[in-house]
Amino acid sequence: MGNPRDVVIVEGVRTPFAKAGTKLAEVHASELGKVALTELIAKTDLDVNQVDEVIIGNTGTPSDAVNISRVVALNSGVPQNVSAFTVHRNCASALESIASGYERIKSGTADVILAGGTESMSQMPLVFNKGFTDFMMNLQKARTTGAKLSLLTEFKLKFLKPRITLMEGLTDPFVGINMGQTAENIAKDFAISRLRQDEFALRSHQRATAAHDKLAQEMTPVFLPPKYKKVVEEDVGPRAEQTIEALQKLRPFFDKKYGSITAGNSCPITDGAAMMLLMSREKAESLGYNPIASIKSYAFAGCEPSRMGLGPVHSTPVALKRAGLELKDMGLVELNEAFAAQVIGCQEAFASDKYAQEKLGLSKAVGQVSDDILNVNGGAIALGHPVGTTGTRLVLTLMKEMQRRSDVQFGLATLCIGGGQGGSMIIEKEA
Amino acid sequence: MAVEGINVIEREDGVAVLELDLAGEKVNKFSTPVMQYFDEMLEKMMSAKYKGLVVISRKPKIFIAGADINEIKDIVEPADAKQKAAEGQRILSKFEDLPFPVVVAIHGACMGGGCEMALACDYRICTDDKSTRIGLPEVQLGIIPGFGGCVRLPRVVGIQAALDIILAGKAVDSRKAKKIGLVDDVVPQSMLEEAAIKKVLEVAGKGKRKKKFQAKGFVPGLLEGPAKFVVFNQAEKMVKKNTKGHYPAPLKALEAVKKTYGMSNREKALDIEASLFSEVAITDISKNLIHIFFMTESIKKQTGVHDKEVKPRSIKHMGVLGAGTMGGGIAQLGADKGIEVRVKDLNNDALSKAFVAAASIWEKKLKRRRMTKFEFKEKMGRVSGGTDYAGFGRMDLVVEAIVEDMKIKQSVIGETAKHMPEDAIIATNTSSLSVTEMAKGHPKPENFGGMHFFNPVHKMPLVEVIRGEKTSDETTATIFDLSKKMGKFPVVVKDGPGFLVNRLLLPYLNEAMYLLEEGMSIEEVDKYYLKFGMPMGPFHLIDEVGIDVSVKVAKIFHEAFGDRAKPSPLMSKIMETGRLGKKNQKGFYLYDEKGKKLELDQNVYKDLGLNTPTNPYNAEVCVNRGIFAMLNEAVRALVDDKIVEKAEEVDLAMIMGTGFPPFKGGLMKYADSIGTRKITDELSRFADDVGPRFKPAESLMKMADGDEKFYDKF
Repeated sequence: MGNPRDVVIVEGVRTPFAKAGTKLAEVHASELGKVALTELIAKTDLDVNQVDEVIIGNTGTPSDAVNISRVVALNSGVPQNVSAFTVHRNCASALESIASGYERIKSGTADVILAGGTESMSQMPLVFNKGFTDFMMNLQKARTTGAKLSLLTEFKLKFLKPRITLMEGLTDPFVGINMGQTAENIAKDFAISRLRQDEFALRSHQRATAAHDKLAQEMTPVFLPPKYKKVVEEDVGPRAEQTIEALQKLRPFFDKKYGSITAGNSCPITDGAAMMLLMSREKAESLGYNPIASIKSYAFAGCEPSRMGLGPVHSTPVALKRAGLELKDMGLVELNEAFAAQVIGCQEAFASDKYAQEKLGLSKAVGQVSDDILNVNGGAIALGHPVGTTGTRLVLTLMKEMQRRSDVQFGLATLCIGGGQGGSMIIEKEA
Repeated sequence: MAVEGINVIEREDGVAVLELDLAGEKVNKFSTPVMQYFDEMLEKMMSAKYKGLVVISRKPKIFIAGADINEIKDIVEPADAKQKAAEGQRILSKFEDLPFPVVVAIHGACMGGGCEMALACDYRICTDDKSTRIGLPEVQLGIIPGFGGCVRLPRVVGIQAALDIILAGKAVDSRKAKKIGLVDDVVPQSMLEEAAIKKVLEVAGKGKRKKKFQAKGFVPGLLEGPAKFVVFNQAEKMVKKNTKGHYPAPLKALEAVKKTYGMSNREKALDIEASLFSEVAITDISKNLIHIFFMTESIKKQTGVHDKEVKPRSIKHMGVLGAGTMGGGIAQLGADKGIEVRVKDLNNDALSKAFVAAASIWEKKLKRRRMTKFEFKEKMGRVSGGTDYAGFGRMDLVVEAIVEDMKIKQSVIGETAKHMPEDAIIATNTSSLSVTEMAKGHPKPENFGGMHFFNPVHKMPLVEVIRGEKTSDETTATIFDLSKKMGKFPVVVKDGPGFLVNRLLLPYLNEAMYLLEEGMSIEEVDKYYLKFGMPMGPFHLIDEVGIDVSVKVAKIFHEAFGDRAKPSPLMSKIMETGRLGKKNQKGFYLYDEKGKKLELDQNVYKDLGLNTPTNPYNAEVCVNRGIFAMLNEAVRALVDDKIVEKAEEVDLAMIMGTGFPPFKGGLMKYADSIGTRKITDELSRFADDVGPRFKPAESLMKMADGDEKFYDKF
């Protein structure tokens, strides 16, 4: 017996995830989003005229689809009179989209929301640097051929050095270090060994591989434009043949000398989309839906940008408090695997009284997140982390696994956010 | 005498506006009373003191649809035809002779006579609306523009652009019209009248316009001037290639342009045009093409059922079972017309074929700039698919296009119905199985019917709408309406082996095999039928359909109709040689990877155990054997089994479904032109000489007694 304004999740769908530059490289983020949203609408036999808003997370902001949510909505058959907006909270953009939908439904502003995220990290562009941009502007302004010619003599070779938007996006704009270096900081703070990280990474692959069929249930294939001959049916990332030896051989990527973060124990940059259908409980009931989960609470919280990986430790206690629950009530936890070191760091910090007292202003530790409830179907190290999509993917994977288990009532989906934040969402099983 | 709906408004600024809004008519057209009224009105205007005249239509999406075809279809005397054209020319020339400038404001269709009137005026302005199309479609009706179009269009847009429109009977949109100079300006609809009046005021008092087409550039200048013979020769070659000599109108139109271009004596030029018009207007070919035009127009008004109270359901979401050639084609067409389509097949590889098919058809349009990349994306977005029944809960109608197996179809139909809304319709695209029998798989057989598309779906204009015994009127009307929405011509047929088109086609194909057996060469037979006017010969057609499919269907027909449909033994023999037709690049002919027909497979005769062809029969015998066999079956289908109700339905179906030569007006029209008595005699002779399968149908013999015509009786 819930409240009629409870926010329920009716269903969710995602595309397969593929490491950037591989199988989905040629597919525009809006197309990925369309595939997931179209399937979600079909799967739920949704009358699209019922939709109040479409909210989609995205960080790349493709210049030919700046409000990508609107593009995805229209291409998915959502009527033109339904509004749509895009949200950006970096790595948690697609958790923000669900949270924004939650608020609208909870307040009574909306009843039916399509929320999700889409990202093509393959298609993040190179841009011209300032020098070249100015040069081009001046060239256009020049009226006479003489002026143009004299300007041309000012061309410098360094103008051709592009700015790599992907790399800039993965660099903290406040402290100026790369995301990998923020993970190095955590590894060193908590003395997390290279082996422990690699073992975690290996487990991610093993769990994802074992969960192949389960993960398939949350996915819909992508038929590749423009010819549509080829189809991507499963995640590209998980490696059944992954060994600890191979992981141990990799050289540290960010701190070559004393570092422990490698390409093997970090998540790969990835393409993919995920969407879900949110409704008020009363609307879902009136339309005859049997929701999978309801949203109990969510929270975002800030933390040190140079240790952004610990964000979940900061946002989770707030979400728990809002839900009136404790960490031990969580039967399953999905904590995004940006870096193995950062996940392990979170486990340590969750369990640490000292961290709770010094950083969170709490009297004692938040609690334990044991390995056997954490990322039971693998995580981003194996599956990949399409930045603007992951938030929704975590909630989706979590709720589908909760549905499979009879002994789980509550679940937590949480992730760290580049720039120094954490995001958490607590859901309860419905069906 | 005044005609209601045609008014001249004299404005305070001295501009007169001629408004066209024919009372009691959906469109403005030039009937005799309208033309006579124009005649009187223009006569009066000759002495009027207007600054200028604007001609504008008050109909929503039509300027002038053209001359009244009903008045042309019955003309049999050349002199009458010439008189008709001359009279129209004389009246439209008055627009040209008015002492003040005339500006035509065009919104919507401006066809034939309407276009010719606009050409007689000084300036033309049109709207940028999609409905605005200007053209001269006359040759499609077997005639040529006869109200001065052949004379005036080349003067306005040059001979190249003019021939492009006249010889193909084309219409152009506003963008193209502006580009070639057919209109002087393109404006939004809300500004049309204002723009036309502004134009009049701008040119008022400066005398009449002396516009003559000026080619831009050296080479175009040559081609429009001293080297125009090059253009004419090219055009003639193209026309001969495209019409294969079956359609005289485009050549006559070309002759009219050639003879009159550059002629300074207007009356003489118009007289030449009128004479040439009269030569084609009285031909059977023109009558037949007009007959087809009326048939297709009448389809637009029909609902597919007799009960006028029955309304079709609107289809917004359509499911397609099976992503094969047909399923993919149907999905593409639905999405193209704005329907959300969901395809289901067993696995993703099969499913991808539907996407590939849809994308490749639109990609061709994209390349030809008939479509933008945004439209491509939008349309592609309307096709989705899966291996489960996701989305079927909101389907209004599902088209089944899976394997041709009654048991499988019945069970899939039953399963599909479970996933659909209670009253949703399922239509089968079967080409050979009984719809009535298949309906047993549907929990509500009244919601089940046939929707038989022809391959390739996006090109073939026919859909057979099949009524099973229990198919309801509402289901029939819905499938009929959906077919029209998808841009097709539906014909309602009763359930029965092969329905209509395949039933008539099979004896014809079978006969080709018998001819082969009797010593005719494949190429000769195909050539004879091409000459008759079929779009391809029977052997080429068997290759296209697939030899395996033909064999299978032949068997079904043999079972259904007995000895008269006994297939030639060569039919199964050819399949045993490993030939499947175009699909495996090897049939009677060889094909390249893209399916392009290459030369005859020289081993065919040897592989079939035949001697070198001796070609014992002439063209007439060859063609009559096939066509009369078809006709004999048509009588049984139409008269005995009442598969369709009217002779014209047979004709429409055969033209749209098999490409039966339109200039012959269709199979039954062709039969009527020969006469039932003569056909029966010929069939009897074949029955004696060749085999009893030719025995004329009883009902045909009855008609032959009084030499009755199909079009009089059915």
